[in-house]
This record gives sequence, structure tokens and C-alpha cells, in this order.
Amino acid sequence: MTGAVDLTRIAVPSTDSRALSPVVVVVAALVLVLLVDAVVPGGRRQVRRLLDLIALLGLAGATGAVGWLAVAASRSGGSDRATLCVPGSGTQLPSCAYVSSALTLTLQGLIAVSALVCLLLALDGPGAADRTPHHVLLLAAVAGALALAGARDLVTLIVAFETASLPVIGLVALRRDAQGGQGALSLLLTAIASLGVLAIGAALLLLATGSLQLDRIALTLAEPGLARPVRVVAAVGLLLAVAGVAFKLSLVPFHLWTPDTYAGAPLPVAAFLAVVSKAAALAAVVILVGVGLPGLAGVWAPVLGVLAVLTTTVGNLVALRQQVAVRLLAWSTVAQAGWVILPLAGVSTHAAGAVSVVGVSGVRAAVAASVGYLVAYSAASLAVFGVVILLARHLPAGEEHTLADYRGLARREPVAAAVLGLGLACLAGLPPGVMGLVAKLLAVRPVVDAGAWPIAVAAAVNVVLGLVYYLRWAALLVAPAQVEPPTWRVKPAEGLALGVGAAACIGLSVLPQLIAGVVPSVLR
Amino acid sequence: MTNPPDLVGSWALATLVVLPMTAGVLLLSVRRIGERLAAELGTAAAAATLVIALLAAVTAAPFGRTVPGLGLDVSWIPALGVRLHLGLDGISAPLVVLTALLGLLVCWHVLRIRPPAGRIQGLVACFLFVEAGAIGTFLALDLVVFFVAFETVLIPMWFVISRWGDDEQPVDAPIGATPIPGGEAARRDAANRFILYTALGSAVMLLGLLLIALRSGTTDLVALAYRGGAGMSVTVQTIAAGLVVIGLAVKAPMFPFHTWLPPAHTIAPTGGSVLLAGVLLKMGTYGLVRVVVPVVPAGLHRIAPILGALGVAGILWGGLACFVTRDLKRLIALSSVAHMGFVLLGVASMTPEGLQGALFANVAHGLITGLLFLVVGAIKDRHHTADLRLLGSGLRDRLPRLGWLLAFGAIAGLGLPGLAGFWGEVLAIAGAWQPGSAMGGASRPLAVLAAIGTAVAAAYLLRMLRSLWHGPAPVADPNAIMSGPIMGDVSTHEVAVLAPLVVLTVALGVVPGILLGVTAGAVRLLLTGGTP
Repeated sequence: MTGAVDLTRIAVPSTDSRALSPVVVVVAALVLVLLVDAVVPGGRRQVRRLLDLIALLGLAGATGAVGWLAVAASRSGGSDRATLCVPGSGTQLPSCAYVSSALTLTLQGLIAVSALVCLLLALDGPGAADRTPHHVLLLAAVAGALALAGARDLVTLIVAFETASLPVIGLVALRRDAQGGQGALSLLLTAIASLGVLAIGAALLLLATGSLQLDRIALTLAEPGLARPVRVVAAVGLLLAVAGVAFKLSLVPFHLWTPDTYAGAPLPVAAFLAVVSKAAALAAVVILVGVGLPGLAGVWAPVLGVLAVLTTTVGNLVALRQQVAVRLLAWSTVAQAGWVILPLAGVSTHAAGAVSVVGVSGVRAAVAASVGYLVAYSAASLAVFGVVILLARHLPAGEEHTLADYRGLARREPVAAAVLGLGLACLAGLPPGVMGLVAKLLAVRPVVDAGAWPIAVAAAVNVVLGLVYYLRWAALLVAPAQVEPPTWRVKPAEGLALGVGAAACIGLSVLPQLIAGVVPSVLR
Repeated sequence: MTNPPDLVGSWALATLVVLPMTAGVLLLSVRRIGERLAAELGTAAAAATLVIALLAAVTAAPFGRTVPGLGLDVSWIPALGVRLHLGLDGISAPLVVLTALLGLLVCWHVLRIRPPAGRIQGLVACFLFVEAGAIGTFLALDLVVFFVAFETVLIPMWFVISRWGDDEQPVDAPIGATPIPGGEAARRDAANRFILYTALGSAVMLLGLLLIALRSGTTDLVALAYRGGAGMSVTVQTIAAGLVVIGLAVKAPMFPFHTWLPPAHTIAPTGGSVLLAGVLLKMGTYGLVRVVVPVVPAGLHRIAPILGALGVAGILWGGLACFVTRDLKRLIALSSVAHMGFVLLGVASMTPEGLQGALFANVAHGLITGLLFLVVGAIKDRHHTADLRLLGSGLRDRLPRLGWLLAFGAIAGLGLPGLAGFWGEVLAIAGAWQPGSAMGGASRPLAVLAAIGTAVAAAYLLRMLRSLWHGPAPVADPNAIMSGPIMGDVSTHEVAVLAPLVVLTVALGVVPGILLGVTAGAVRLLLTGGTP
């Protein structure tokens, strides 16, 4: 047996570091934080500020890299940068594990900005001794999420997904109390179980199509003469993969970890879970079904439709009974997750002979609507969470405060109350939250186009269910109060985070084109 | 090349919406404004809006051209094909002027007569937001812009009802029972019913609007009216018409989706009730005429019998329910359901006379019911109750001018010839009687029932007058809540607020051509699909 390996036969993927730059910047910041902590230990204020600065610069740098890539892509006429490619052999085209397309850049931009706002909200909170673990875990999760947005093969997808999920478990436990530990444990168990299911799903897809690359999978499944057993195996693999990813989006019935984890985590981490984790989860779903499996839309569209309706309804019904602010927000995010997934139910298949053909434009429109709703939901959630965090920092009840503590806030802190009211109106979908109204319109549009009337009517009913508790909360802001709510001076980081959230809500309400036209080009 | 007058005219339309909106935002953001100054600012903004509305209406005349006289058309959401398209034509101009007038009157009313809950800043701001949203709805010529403006009025109106609503227990209570103060639960319940019903209807309407937009490929109402339903199959049109009508029926209100209306009208403060009846209800029926009749005519043709039947059911039910109600505000609210039934009957007939009658009845109802709510509000302020049994009789002797105004309002409400209410009802019934009516074989029976409804309206209104206006003035009754009015007869300010409504009611009754001439051309265009 010869010991030499023939290097010309091994397919070494090429790396385009510029395409990977958002991920690399965040990882570099992460390493730097660890280095600084190792070299200069101790909780001195300057060191903490330095760590904060490194983390902020890392996320800002990632945002800048995404912006730069977007500008470069638009200048070069929309060609995508791809990296980690496997060369084609025979009839197969080269296929890349990481593609920086318009979809990728949109999701990455959203994730980076949202993570930046969550970090700003976390800076002034309690837990100064935990700076390093907090920043490291946050940056690791963000790096995973950014990589997930660009993943185009199953292995990269799974690895990035886990990188985006597991550090968050540590973040949840940072309060170092029993409730935090319980929340972290329930998230951990759900994540591990889901990883197993996701791995089996990916394995079945490999079995059915012979490839892990999503574009090759799509090509295989689009062949006209596909044998039925192959389709069945691929469909089962798809369903298991979606089930493995669904927990991160809090889709029913994989949502049971949500209330305990949100209540046990520090509030900025809850905001991170609500916004960044959901963005990463949607990225995984959209890439799986939109890029890899449009041919099986007849399978996943009804399933996602049922999940969307269940999730929205359950989330709204349970939220109606919540009195603790953070628990209400947890269930509200469950309901909103249903809305995020709703457009994907609206992919219609029409029979062309013996084979059902999916309109690719239908998949593209549905994905664009999903991502657009996600952008609107993120902006509104960050605004609401920002004000909730501010109030929690100045109340004796802290993060367990109830809705009654918001009574009369409009008289004491009008700006914060206005931001909260605007965020709630956006989540509810009524003016002055025009952004939310357009987002809901955007989400329901593919469903109406596909003619899925039961789902559409259920969504319409859920608009009203959500309105009940959002309006009840907003009304408390102007209600007369027996106990005066606190007033405060806003710290710069908190003010910046609130300002970004409010500006996003107002800006997107005036120019809804930014959420409707957010993913214009072909799905890659 | 756009001529300078056109440019000015187009931006006048945007100003009609932006001005009240900005004034409302200002009133909410500036913290320490005295109550009087806040009301004065609101009144000034509303007066400016009315002046601009009148100027715009005059500039946009003559109505009846294919393209609305004044228009604003800029791109808003290119990805969905939505343009910010505003326009003023023969159907929307009277409603815009009516809304601006009612907005001015309620702000002016609040200047002197303030609800006990205080915080007038917020109340006037909410009135202005409702006015802006309603004007936006009437000006919108794009489906999505229409929907956004339609929803804008919900949250401000919710606050008006729940924060500034009446305190006393409004529902019929046994004689001698003291009114329960602090009825926050009742206010909250009425406000919630209003917003949840209406939001559910709007969400269903959204599905219909999206269906129309997706199947026809455009959201522009002018283009959709021009097509007249071409490109959409009859089934699609019927589904779309059904969905949109359900949504608008909640707002109109149409029997049996009207149950939110009596509590909301009864508990709302006077200005809130006037806006609810005079503005919000108009948005529902306006939507029918603007969005359903020209865009999905075949679909509306299929459901017209149901629409007409439910309209007539509302006329009769509203009238009969008025016989058993003892609360004066609730009586006026139920009469609104009856009046709107005529509008729905006119729309369902889909004939020129019917539509003209519907539009006329729309405006007339706004004037008359606005007048009645202001008068009833004055009565309630003086007696601290609106219960007919407790109010006593002999208003004609105790408070002659107020009694005269109440009698005028009641007689206008029952449709006496010579006052505005008559023409709307007559034309709606005439439209239903036409052989070309879309309700088919059911048209004539429904027209007969509607005519019987006018007799029922006369009955309950005259009964109310007999028990309240006629009769001897009561002697001091130890069981009664009040032994005499606290305040005197109507003040000059109150008469000034009511005067425009009285004058317009008489003017439209004697010279209906003012309004009929304005709407005639536009109605013709609606029914013939935009080709003159």
C-alpha cells in the first residue's frame, strides 16, 4: 500500500475570504475578547469597557462587511460570491457550500444589526462580572447565525445551526439562578433532541438524492421521471429536517421551552432569542425549503401552513392570559413566529400532466414575504423589548414586573411610552404602526394567491386575537395610575438602542418598500 | 407638463390628511397646554381643513369626468405595485366636506362643553386623527392606501370611547336605581366590542382586497373601475365581493353585524358619537360604492339580494328595537342602523337612482344623526341621564329652544319631505323598484318592506317626541333623579355648533339638486365601468 496521497484527486474547496468576511470579522472579535480577558484579567472598569468596545466593533464591522458586499454585488450586476465550492464532475455543475446572495446579505444584515442592538441593551444591565462569557457566547451565536444565512449544503447548515443555537443556552443561564438554570436546561434538551432529528432528516435527504449540496438536491428532485420511493424518502427527510429546525422558531408543538426560557434569561438575552435566534431559524427554514426543496412544495407548504396557524393561535390564546410582561412577550413572539412562517404556506402547486409543478416565482414571492415580515417584526420587537428592559432596570420587581407597572407611564416617561406604544401598534398591525399593517398584508398575500382560504381566514381571526392584548397593554400606558411609575435618565447605549428601534419602526412605516422589496432577486 | 394649478391642487389633497394628523401629533407631544388652548388649536386645525376641503371640492368640479378632477399619484410600495393615489370626485367630495365639517363641529363643541374625564388635549388629538383617517379613506384611490386609511380611525376611536366615555350605567336600569359611577368596565367593554368587531371585519375585507389585487394585477381603483371586473371570473368576483362586503358590513353597519354599534354610540362622549355616526359609518358604505360596485360588479350582482334583504332587515329591526329602548342615545344609535339599511338597499339595487339615493342618504344621515347626537348630548348634560322615563316630559316648555331642536332632528330623521332625510329614502326605494335592479325578484317586496320601515321610523320618533317633548312639565318628584334642569336652555355656542347642520338639512331637503348633481356623473361612471 503506498503511503503517498495523490493531491490532485482530492477536491479542495476554494475560499473567497471576502464573501466570508462578515463571519470572519465576528469570529475575530470573539478571539480578541478571549485574548484580552486572558491577558488582562479582573473586573476593572476600563477592561470591561474595552471588552464592550471590541464586541460592538465586531458586530459593527460585520454590518459594514455586509453593506460592502451588498454594494459590490449591486455594482457587479448581481452576481453572487460563492466560496467553499466543490468542482463539478461529469454532468454535475460545481456546487458551493456558502453563497453570498441577496437573500444571504439581507438576512446577515438583519442579524448583525439586531445583535448590535441586543448588545447595546445588555451593556448597562446587571452582571458586570460576566462580561467575557456574555460577549463570547453572543459573538459565537451571531457568527453561527451569519454563517447559517449563507449555508447552501446540509453539513454547513447543520454546523452553523448548532453554532447559532448552543451558545445561547449559556447566555440564558447567565443570571446564575434556579429559574435561569431551568430555562437553560429546557432549551438544551430541546436543542439536543432537535439536532438528532435534524441529522436524521439530512441523512434521509442524502439517501434519497445522493448529495448534500442543496442545489444538487433541488435538481435531483426536479427531474421529471423521479421514482416514487425517492420522493417519499425525501419528503420524510424534509419533514424531519423542518421538525429539527422548528424549535428555534418556537413553532407549535416545538415551543414548550419558550416561556420558561424567556422568563429565566436576562431580558437582553430574551430580546436576542426573540429577534436574532428567530432570524437564524427562519434562515434555516427558508434555505432548506426554498433553495433545496422547492420541488417538494406540495409537501411542505400545507405542513407549514398548519404549523403557522397552530402557532399563531396558540401563542395568541395563551398570551391573552399573561400578566407578567416578559411572559406575555414570550407568547407574543410565539404568535409572531406563526406569522413569519405563514407566507411559506402560500406556495401553490399546479398539476402539469402527471407531475405537479411549483411556480418558482411563487416560492420566491413567499420567501420574500417571510423575510420582509421578519424585518418588520424585528424592528417592532426591539423597540418593545428596549422599553421593557428600561422599566425592568428601574423597578423593584425587576424582570418579573407585570403589566400593571406600566400604568400611567405616558405621563412620567412620554418618550419611552411613545416608543412602546408604537412598537405594540406595529406588532398588532394597526396604524400608527403602518409597518405592521403592511407586513401582515405581505404575509397573507401569498396565502390568498394560492387560494388556501382556511389558513387565510384563521390568520384574519388571529389579527384580532393579537390586537386584544397589545391594545390592553398600550391602554395601560395612558390610564390613570395610583402608584406612580419610575422615571429615569437614559444611558447612551440604551438610548441608542431605543432610537434605532423607534427609527426603524417609523422609517419602515413611511417607506414600506423596504420590507416589501427586501429580497428582490432570484432565490439562490 | 403639469400646470401649476394642478400641482397645487394635488398637494391640497395631501394637506387634507396631513394637516389634522400633524395637529393631532402636536397636541399629543407638547406637554403643558391648557385645555382651552388645546381645544382652540384643534378647532383652528379643523377649520383650516374645512376651508381647504371646500376649495378642493370647488376646484375639482365639474365632477363626472373619467379621471378625478384633482389627483395625487406617487409611487409608494413598488414591490407590491402600490401607489399613493389620492383623488377627489363626485362621490368622495360631499363626504370629505361632511367629515371636515363634523370634525370642526366636534372640536368646537369641546371648546366649551368638556367631558368630565378631562385631558382635553388627548381627546381633541383623537378627534383630529379620526378626521384625518376618514378623509384619507375618502380620498384613497388605491386598494392598499384605502385599507391603511380605513384602519387608521380604529385606535383613536377606541381611546375616545374607553377614556372619555360616559360614566353612568347606560343600559336600562329599574326606576329609582342610582346610576353606577366609574363605569370603566362598561366603557372598556364597549370600546373593545367596537374595535374587535371592526378589526375582524377589516381583516376579512383585506383578504377580499388582496384577491382582487392579485387576480386583476393592479391595486389602482381607477384602473379597476375602468375594467369593471374584466379578467376576473364570476366565481372570483363573488368571493371577493362577499369578503369585502362582510368587512364593510361590520362598519356600515349591516344587520346582523351591527351589535357593536349600540353600546359604542351610547357610551361614547357626545363628540365621539357624532364622529362615529357621521364619519365612521360613512366609511363602510363609501367602501361599498367605491370598491365593490365598480370593481366586482358581477360578484355584487350575485350577492345583491342578500345585501338588500339584510339592509331591509336592519331597517325593520332597528325600528322595532327603538320601540323598546328607553335610553335616548341608544335610540338614536339604533335609528342609525335603520338609516344605513336604506343606504344598503340603494347600493344593492345597483341602479343609478338607487346609488344616488344611497349616496344622498349617506350624507343626510351624517347631518341628521350628528345633529341628534349633539342635541341629546345637551339634554344629557342638563339632566345627567338619558333615560326616557327619568327625563320627564314637557321639554317644549322647560327648555323651548332645545326642545325645538330635538323635534327638528326627530322630524328630519323620520324622513319628512322638505328635509334631507326624505330624498335619500325615496330614491333608495325607487332604485329598488326599478326593473333593472340587481336584486331580481326580491326587489319590489324589499322596497315595500323598506317603505313600511319609514312608517316604523315615524312611529318611534314621534313616540319619543310625545313622551319627551310634549306633555306637562313635571312637578318636583321625590323619586326622580333631578327635579329640574341645572343649566338653562341652549347657549349661543351650542346653537352655533348646531346651526350648520340645521341649515344644511333644510337646504338639502329643499334643493336636493346640490348634492344629486354632484354625484350624478360619478354614479354614471361607476355603473358603466369608467367609459362615459
